[in-house]
Amino acid sequence: MSSSTSSEVVVRTRHLGKAYQLYAHRSDWLKQVMFGTWKTYYKPFWVLRDIDLDVYRGDSIGILGRNGCGKSTLLQVICGMTLPSNGELRVTGRVAPVLALGATFDAELSGRENIMIGGAVMGLSRSEVLEKFDSMAEFAGIGDYMEQPVKHYSMGMRTRLAFAICAHVEAEILVVDEALAVGDAAFQRKCLDWIDSFRRKGTLLFVSHSPAEVRRLCNRAIWIEDGRIRSQGEPSVVIRAYHRAMAMEKDDIHRFSVSE
Amino acid sequence: MPSVKVVNGKQIVVEALDPSQRFKRFLAKPLLQMRYNREIILAILRRELASRFTGSAGGWLWAVAAPLFAIAVYTFAFTTKLQMTFVGEQGQKPIAYALFIFAGLIVFNFFSEMAYRSPMLLHEYAHFIKQTIFPSDMLAVISTLRAAAYTGIGAIVMLICVAAVKGGLPWTVIFVPLIFIPLSAFLMGLSWFLSAIGAFTRDAGYLMINIVPLFMFMTPVFFSPGSWSFPWNLAIHGNALTAYVEIMRDLVLTGTLPNPLTVLWALATAIFTFYFGYWFFDRYRNVIVDVI
Repeated sequence: MSSSTSSEVVVRTRHLGKAYQLYAHRSDWLKQVMFGTWKTYYKPFWVLRDIDLDVYRGDSIGILGRNGCGKSTLLQVICGMTLPSNGELRVTGRVAPVLALGATFDAELSGRENIMIGGAVMGLSRSEVLEKFDSMAEFAGIGDYMEQPVKHYSMGMRTRLAFAICAHVEAEILVVDEALAVGDAAFQRKCLDWIDSFRRKGTLLFVSHSPAEVRRLCNRAIWIEDGRIRSQGEPSVVIRAYHRAMAMEKDDIHRFSVSE
Repeated sequence: MPSVKVVNGKQIVVEALDPSQRFKRFLAKPLLQMRYNREIILAILRRELASRFTGSAGGWLWAVAAPLFAIAVYTFAFTTKLQMTFVGEQGQKPIAYALFIFAGLIVFNFFSEMAYRSPMLLHEYAHFIKQTIFPSDMLAVISTLRAAAYTGIGAIVMLICVAAVKGGLPWTVIFVPLIFIPLSAFLMGLSWFLSAIGAFTRDAGYLMINIVPLFMFMTPVFFSPGSWSFPWNLAIHGNALTAYVEIMRDLVLTGTLPNPLTVLWALATAIFTFYFGYWFFDRYRNVIVDVI
């Protein structure tokens, strides 16, 4: 099923599941932490169920699915931001998440200062950031706004700055989550070109609602529905099946409710 | 090559360690984490120190003005007729008494800044913790270092005032920087503990707002610890802050070396709090991500 360039597995999941714990009252968290051994105070809401996935070195995988199907949670679990509730996960290599771009930006600080902090959070040393600063500024292409507070930036400018930081972290596994939706066409093309060149040397996990991007960048696609893998394989085949399903199935308004 | 393995919500460390190695690892872990994350700590600390006074015209002048103003108010209060009855203990001169309070306040303000801020600390950085791979245990380190920097400014102002009033400093002031090591470790542990609790419930923040002023009278800021009789003096001496206040006054005001027992108590509470706080935070850090 997978068309890998080498046989080394960099991300392996077995029966991976993630349940968010829904509480009736905020204070129940505390009770759960203190008395959780004896009694359960929450309703589990399963976002991911039974995910079996092998990602090989050099793979680039496109992940499709509706809003709230668990795409982002899967990426968060793989990045190690949150732990899975059950199942097994093994990740080998440095992961760079391009999830919520610009989420760490401090609105009061200038673009330059945010690059210093953002770079440190992504695991670059101060000297590395200083060394790559000019290249980052060039990639972002926001000119004199670099010295202005980020609160005066437009959404697109924030994305440019954030992606510029991510593009300069030398990651082995790049995880991109619908990040490019707000950039203008020229910038999107620049980012896609960069991702295209990245996937030749690294491993890519890519969430997108654009079939064209997935077709261009990925050698394998995964369609997630209700927290399970519904289908995976050749991008064009999976995309066709996904679109057919989207056309036939209505938007289900009860999707986000906990089933009794 | 870094490799992470997670099974059923527990991170599996592949090596098998015997108890003594596990204990060594436990002791080394917070320190190794700080070393490993030093770039993040410095980047955020630099930002926090710089942004504290952004938007004010006075800027860093405020950091120096605040302690100077405090000392001026105390001196005024105790040199004029405002004197309260319990003030004139041990027949001190008013200015000496102002310095006496000031030495206590420096330690106490360090504590109160940490105690007020810690419960909200993880909420302040929620976007970092949720959206990036972020070492949330380093936030307590950053906020301790930040508070230590302001406390350091206060301490320097105090030393200048002592030198101006007494015409010189006792040689024992060279030990003052050393106080900051156990005091910071103590408050860091406290901050880990309070920030973990504060992530679960906002009550921790409200509780601290009520408790901290109480501690002001549990700590000998306005009086010397000897002025209380049994059983109250036990509570006063049990309070770890008392030890730091006494050490500070011995070194700066009287110019004597502190009582070894006091130093021992300060060190013991610092080490215990540091490791207990880290253990507690580490235990719940994975739950905290989902709560905030």
